[in-house]
Amino acid sequence: MRTRGIKAAILAATLLVTVPLWAGPARVGTPYKIGFIASITGPGASLGKPERDVARLMQERLNREGGIVGTDGVRHEVQILINDDQSRADTAASLARRLIEQEQVHVLVAGTLSGPSLAMVPIATELRTPMISMASARAIIEDPETKRMRPWIFKPVPENLHSAAKQAEYLKAIGITGVCHLYENTAYGKDTFESAKVEFGKVGIRILYGDSFDRFATEFPQVTRVRASGCKAVVIGSIPPAAAVINVAVAGRVGLRKIVHGHGACSPDLIRTAGAAAEGTVMPCGKILVADQLPATDPVRRVNLELIQEYTRITGGDPISTFAGHAYDALQWALLALREVPDGLPLARVREAVREALEGKIKNYVGTHGVMTLSPEDHLGFNPKDFVIVTVRGGRFVILPREQWK
Amino acid sequence: MSEQGLQTTTGDRGILLRPTRASLQRFGRQAALVAVIVLVGLFLVGMGHRVGYGAADYLQLLVDGLQIGAVYALVALGFVVVYRVTGVINFAQGAFVMLGPMLTITLFGSLSGSPVFRLVVSALGAVLFVAAVGMAIHRLTLHPARKASALTRIIITVGVYISVQGIALIAWGPRPYVLPAFTTLQMVDRLVEVGSIIIQAQTFWIWGVAVAMLVLLALFFERTVVGKAMRACAVNRIAAQLMGIRVDRMATLAFGLAAVLGAVAGIVLSPATRPTYDMGLELGLKGFVAAIMGGLVSFPGAVVGGIALGILESLWGGVTLAGFKDLFAFLMLILSLLFWPQGILAGKGEGGS
Repeated sequence: MRTRGIKAAILAATLLVTVPLWAGPARVGTPYKIGFIASITGPGASLGKPERDVARLMQERLNREGGIVGTDGVRHEVQILINDDQSRADTAASLARRLIEQEQVHVLVAGTLSGPSLAMVPIATELRTPMISMASARAIIEDPETKRMRPWIFKPVPENLHSAAKQAEYLKAIGITGVCHLYENTAYGKDTFESAKVEFGKVGIRILYGDSFDRFATEFPQVTRVRASGCKAVVIGSIPPAAAVINVAVAGRVGLRKIVHGHGACSPDLIRTAGAAAEGTVMPCGKILVADQLPATDPVRRVNLELIQEYTRITGGDPISTFAGHAYDALQWALLALREVPDGLPLARVREAVREALEGKIKNYVGTHGVMTLSPEDHLGFNPKDFVIVTVRGGRFVILPREQWK
Repeated sequence: MSEQGLQTTTGDRGILLRPTRASLQRFGRQAALVAVIVLVGLFLVGMGHRVGYGAADYLQLLVDGLQIGAVYALVALGFVVVYRVTGVINFAQGAFVMLGPMLTITLFGSLSGSPVFRLVVSALGAVLFVAAVGMAIHRLTLHPARKASALTRIIITVGVYISVQGIALIAWGPRPYVLPAFTTLQMVDRLVEVGSIIIQAQTFWIWGVAVAMLVLLALFFERTVVGKAMRACAVNRIAAQLMGIRVDRMATLAFGLAAVLGAVAGIVLSPATRPTYDMGLELGLKGFVAAIMGGLVSFPGAVVGGIALGILESLWGGVTLAGFKDLFAFLMLILSLLFWPQGILAGKGEGGS
């Protein structure tokens, strides 16, 4: 009786395991192409290189799994075409056009920096191809004049407004009412300043002195102005390497003023290049950077730890950066949307279907920076609550829990 | 020369009028200089008052400006050395400024031994290597084109700069590097507080090295045969050749010397910043502006030009928006070309006239 029971169990198990084989391999549909454009060289390289590494990692994963299987059960090979825009808007624009027209990609995951991303927006829109950017500026997904979502453009990247809101929450909590704002002379830097004006104003924090700086600068008269202005904290709107250069110039020379970076500085490059000058600086960061310090109940923790493990392996030990996370989320969105597309559609219809799937099917997506839900009104779906305030301590990024804000 | 021609053809009247006109012109230039200084001073004080500056703040800006000004001066001297001997404005000067620190950092990382030893050896090694690069650049690019027009040769130097920067991008990548501060031998420098003014310890190194370089340069040109031969080439190339001076060799040597000046400037500055493969563009152009302010042929002019540019830039940036301080530097370029084409020290010094 017992042996028969075991035999039956083995038979059942065998059946279960082999049924998919009987059904034969999934039908193979048209291969998909993802056009990937990042700033692998030039001033954006410290962001673009990790993104490129993630694209490689994802391609490796796809090859291992034999592509993706759509919701209709059809298997598709996926090829990620990796390109470098050299941190230049003109290069990015011509690459985007080439990928859409000549390579006939189904979706673009394109744009490390806001400038190049904005340059690609009209092209993707005109050629009716969905584009997922990895840069932060609001204007990438939203038309600044009509205040409406651009139908073809998406991004999984939190914005300077979210970052500024979190900074404002922190500054308010530690009792600071007047700040200085130094921002790099780029689209990103200017956006941090504009966002700070909006969000700081809401909670009654005044910007006593706001000024830009050049990333080549070797001497900073700004420091003297900071000291003369009477502000109690210096907010820096910049990404490394510029963020590190200004950090070094300001640290120790502005008295005990608190130095607060934006989320663009959440990169190991900041610590590597600014060294001890970065110690004690504070910034709102995505959770990916401190995933191992998150509570086990946080759903984001597991996704990040898995990504970090693979990322460290493929890069030979590079520390993870938030930008790697953006590339991961953008590529995941593209793949999730491609899964929803029925097989056998012509190229233009596939692109439309991807766009519709991005708007309608990305719900409660557990990503590297939080849990996101897209809709026709929101092509980002980020909740600022998912930012954590992080400080640099002993050469590491450490979560600064609410009760330690001071 | 044309004025001399004028003198002979117009006879007595010309002789009588000419000094008056010249002195009027000189007076006009001096008046313009004074007027500009007064206006700039008023502007600085007015704007500074608006943002609540005290004396200490101005002093801080002055010290900061003097720091970067010393670097501009060294770079400007490189422009002058090459221009005087070859008649070419060498836009590859910025490449030397970048190569110096980048090579120092690479050597520093690959040597073993005490940090002081590594720093000294790698800095000296880098300077020598950059000098060799400078001479090679002259031999390989400008020497073959010595018959071409000055404009062509200037464009060649632009091409050389772009090529060197491209090679540096391949060799070092786009990320910034760190050279330890000379005093602490660490990433973070010591800050010296004098009253309420804060000075990086590296600033004293910059000043010290700049002064040492000036003394060495003066000794070289005044006391050595090669230095004198180089000056002879600057005064009159054909006469120098007739005296048996190898003008070509002197030109190559001038490039080597300019490379040394550029590399030293880059190396002493780099602990105060974070060197990247493209740092040479900005410093090269600022050095050029300083050289132009000094009249392009005068060594004292280049030094004064560099320091003046550094200080003015810092003060201007401090009282207005510092993000626009480059705008000011290039405004200075236009102003000096318009009003003091001979440099702010015109008429003084060897090559001033």
